[in-house]
Amino acid sequence: MRRIYSVIAWVIAGGVVVQAASIGFAFGGVLNHVQEGGVVDKALIESDQSGFTGQLGFWIHEIGGGVVIPLAAVALLVVSFFVRARGARLWAAIVLGLVALQATLGYAITDVPYIGLIHGANALAVLAASVIAALRVGRMARTRVEEATSDAVAA
Amino acid sequence: MPSRRELFRRAVIGTAVITAVGAGTLAWSSTLLGEYSVMDMGDGHADHGGHEAGASETSVASGTVGGSGEVSVTALTAEADRPADVHVELVARQETIDVPGGRPIEGYTVNGTSPGPEIRARQGDLVEVEFVNESVTDGATLHWHGIDVPNAADGVAGITQDAVPVGGRFTYRFEATDAGTYWYHSHQVSHEQVERGLLGAVVIEPAGQPASPADGTSDVDVVAMLHLYGGQHTLNGRAKDEHVAAEPGSTVRVRVVNTDQGTAAVWSDGPFRVVATDGHDVNQPSEVEGQRVLMPAGGRADVAVRAPEHGTVRLHVGGARSILIGDPDATAPPSPQPSETLDLLAYGAPAPLGFDPASADRTYDYVIGRRFGIIDGRPGNFWTINGRMFPDVPMFHVAEGDVVRMRIVNDTGDVHPMHLHGHHVVVLSRDGVAASGSPWWVDSLDVRPGESYEIAFVADNPGIWSDHCHTLSHAVDGLVTHVMYEGVTTPFTINGAAGNQPE
Repeated sequence: MRRIYSVIAWVIAGGVVVQAASIGFAFGGVLNHVQEGGVVDKALIESDQSGFTGQLGFWIHEIGGGVVIPLAAVALLVVSFFVRARGARLWAAIVLGLVALQATLGYAITDVPYIGLIHGANALAVLAASVIAALRVGRMARTRVEEATSDAVAA
Repeated sequence: MPSRRELFRRAVIGTAVITAVGAGTLAWSSTLLGEYSVMDMGDGHADHGGHEAGASETSVASGTVGGSGEVSVTALTAEADRPADVHVELVARQETIDVPGGRPIEGYTVNGTSPGPEIRARQGDLVEVEFVNESVTDGATLHWHGIDVPNAADGVAGITQDAVPVGGRFTYRFEATDAGTYWYHSHQVSHEQVERGLLGAVVIEPAGQPASPADGTSDVDVVAMLHLYGGQHTLNGRAKDEHVAAEPGSTVRVRVVNTDQGTAAVWSDGPFRVVATDGHDVNQPSEVEGQRVLMPAGGRADVAVRAPEHGTVRLHVGGARSILIGDPDATAPPSPQPSETLDLLAYGAPAPLGFDPASADRTYDYVIGRRFGIIDGRPGNFWTINGRMFPDVPMFHVAEGDVVRMRIVNDTGDVHPMHLHGHHVVVLSRDGVAASGSPWWVDSLDVRPGESYEIAFVADNPGIWSDHCHTLSHAVDGLVTHVMYEGVTTPFTINGAAGNQPE
């Protein structure tokens, strides 16, 4: 169970990296599109049709931040109740709280752009918390396996 | 060999996981919609706007609906034996759309082009459109956006008709009651079919005035239909700007139609007037200078521009495209978009509404929110209406003759272009500030984040009418409900054998 916990936490950490990469790709595409004479307006943003290189980045960011990472954070908290490791539940709760905050901020950016400042910074907090959770429980899982192995040798 | 305690622990975990998965699956499957009728939507939460169901006598008095019998939407038609003044055949196909000035895309055409043919009629004409689906595999319909047609001709798959299958036909008949600018589009899998071109313009010219192109208030009359094809901004189907030749000092009426999924801006560095919104004239419109007009998705604005004495003037329509008006050999540089927006709440001069919104028979709230949930087995961050998620959203019940007031509140971070079928609503106030200009009649209204609009309308067109967001992906994600007239029922269903999927 510790291993599952650790894997989910790493998935969240990796997800944050994907989020940063995809939004960088998306805005690179926007700048390129405008530079080539294209126009970005509400019609283009709301369209499902591909308008420019990088538009896929917005889609990945939306699915990653709106569905994949929140579901993983909920799963982490659920799994934490079956993990006997100190701090597992606490760190899962911290991760979920930060992810919930991050998604809420993300959906509010269009209305209040300044929220983007917090959204970007909070992403690093999600990354840090998920890495800490993964390392803490992952290390315990490894230690336990090593102990079990050495016991077997001694026997 | 695991200890007995470890075995017990594993059994507890296993039971908990199986229970959680089972409960989750049960909860998930309970969201599956299957085949359903809009008559069953909002089950247990019927909203009567302060009236008891059936308490209104106006519906009985009208003689159209009510009493003991129920009326099917299919019976709510235009005069059956009146011959048509305008007859058009429109054939929908699933094929490659040629985009002059751009690259072709896969989509839908009407009579071989997209946009389809422009339909022109005169006020009072009976318009008859024979719709043929030649090859649209999902089926298709035609909805007459902004025209207050009889309910049977509203073209909403699963509510007022079945989607027309490949090889099928459907006849739409309606009287062109209000002069103005409108458009038609499919209302079957609309987020896909509208985006990919199953649409066209409709112009109803005022009765008793000179025929097209001039309608008496302008010397030249043109349509500017905005649409995005595969990310390419087009004007009347072409990915390029247009020139309109006009004599110096003459007036050109540009009928801008926003068929896209979001707000479009219209501006010019020369003066112009907004002479109509959503097919209703503005009373005494003043000249607009240094301001832009913002048009909601689905909305129309008729803009009158005077051709300059020398050269040409550029009217920006939708950010990416322009119309050059005046000398066809001259050009004019683009002008930056003004940051100030024309406030239609205080534009033009007041005029009588023709009804008294203060004596409303029904009062409703339409509060738009957003939360995580599952609709039809699909998890997501969905739109809610009055805190409730589709299909449990409130239905707005009315009786014929009612004066209805509605408060539309946007508690989300996105703009929502709210579109009510079959009626025009007048804006009474925004954020508590009363309307002070010309009556602002709309069928499509942008409600921005945090805004609250009070609107009113007369329930004078019996039927079952969609009231939804015209950023069509938002309607897919639950931002759709209906105005239901007492005594009106529909035999059509959504997700059934006919494959009706209106959004």
